[in-house]
Amino acid sequence: MRDVAILGAGMVPFGKYPEKTLAEIAWPAVKAAIEDSNVPKKDIQAAYCGTALGGMMAGQRILKTLGITGLPIMNIENACSSSSTAFREAWIAVAAGVYDAVVVIGVEKLTKFGGGTLPLEKEDFEVAHGLVMPALYAMRAQRYMHEFDLTEDHLAKVSVKAREHGQHNPDAQMRELTSIEAVKESRPVADPLRLFHCCPSGDGAAAVVICAAENAAKFGGEPIRVIGSEINSGKYMTGFRDMTSPEITVRGAAQLYEEAGIGPEDVDLAEVHDAFAIAELLYYEALGFCPRGEAGRMIDEGETSVGGRIPVNPSGGLLAKGHPIGATGVAQIVEVVRQLRGQCGNRQVEGARVGLTHCTGGGVSGFDHGVCSIHLFAR
Amino acid sequence: MTDTAEELKQALNIAGDALAEKPDGTVRLIGTECADCGHRVFPPTPVCPECMSENVSRIELSETGTLYSWSAVRIAPRDWKTPFIAGYVDMPEGVRVFAHMVDIDPEALSFDMNVRVCKSELGAESDGTPIESYSFVPVEEKS
Repeated sequence: MRDVAILGAGMVPFGKYPEKTLAEIAWPAVKAAIEDSNVPKKDIQAAYCGTALGGMMAGQRILKTLGITGLPIMNIENACSSSSTAFREAWIAVAAGVYDAVVVIGVEKLTKFGGGTLPLEKEDFEVAHGLVMPALYAMRAQRYMHEFDLTEDHLAKVSVKAREHGQHNPDAQMRELTSIEAVKESRPVADPLRLFHCCPSGDGAAAVVICAAENAAKFGGEPIRVIGSEINSGKYMTGFRDMTSPEITVRGAAQLYEEAGIGPEDVDLAEVHDAFAIAELLYYEALGFCPRGEAGRMIDEGETSVGGRIPVNPSGGLLAKGHPIGATGVAQIVEVVRQLRGQCGNRQVEGARVGLTHCTGGGVSGFDHGVCSIHLFAR
Repeated sequence: MTDTAEELKQALNIAGDALAEKPDGTVRLIGTECADCGHRVFPPTPVCPECMSENVSRIELSETGTLYSWSAVRIAPRDWKTPFIAGYVDMPEGVRVFAHMVDIDPEALSFDMNVRVCKSELGAESDGTPIESYSFVPVEEKS
């Protein structure tokens, strides 16, 4: 397998674009990534497009607007991990020598559903009984708060931190600061979760161009190396699973650290899947940033803020940057690329050399999560 | 146009009814047990997810289980009565069941409390058709 590098990254600000088509939302992100990479359009040999609800042939619809056609285009669905899965598949293809340079796209338009909770697959038994994603995360939160030292203030602090980071990110959907009091007074969604504990619904797109690391020099710029790529499905468990520890992330992180030959202490920043405030706290532990039961202490002591020991979600994360679900995986990678290049202004993690992205997807009964993909990058 | 009652019926009927009504008016959940490896699942399935055997038989789950976690859900797709209480109930047979908790305030629930299966109306279609399924109520503690 060859080493793989990211040459270009681009995204559009996450937000609400009901008047635009999926292709109209996405092409500026793709164009920005290609221009950022200095890879001539004609040298792009394949495209991987992740979207969960974007409909058939999203990749073709997007790429024809830029005249990038007549090449293999793979459209990939894996719920919220659609584009992190697309990135993983693109990485495999380049690492294996099948292609030298490819573009990876993540895109979603959720405004077409008119708001509310994410539409899940009705064939699923629990979904048919009214399970919605906020309720699932809320039950995780309730049980964690019962077993460990975690309060509503801890949950609120995650949302406050997300906005503090997001205010400095021009691509973030929620850039206004909030307070613990405002979070605790926001509309209840599924107890103990309130509106500000939940990522906003919206639209967006992100893209990266990757190539074989051995060819990176000819395009100039500073390539960001992919030093680890991991994906897993959850384990189907009909029995009593521990909902306070996301098994798929614990398992995936262990595999990834071993593959990359580094540990959590070597990670300078992480973009994690904080679809709900409780999720970010569970992932501090699952990714090895702190021991079990200490997530509340980490947020209390500011360890995961920019300037702290291990900044988490400097982009604002899903809570502030937004979560157009299929776009999220690549958007996390865009943030890590910018951080490792030192392009992030007031939210810059100083001296960042290693970054991690973590993207899950759920909504199927019996699984902790249906899918989880984790990547490590270095400059 | 959503049709929650029909979707629920289809989901319950993936491999036969998941709910049995007893002569005394109480109800029981139905799961399946693999005759080859003993693995149990709810809802019933035609194939064992552990060993892929199709030699499975229907089993009646106990009337009561314990509440692992819950949440009072205030925002849900239309047709559901909101707020409703979503919960996970651990059954003595070793399976965890997602269910609505009914006839109780969320403040009165506690972790690992005993709950009893019942059948109730969980919502209604826009045309008034009731959405019925299994649910759980707290077991009244004898003092």
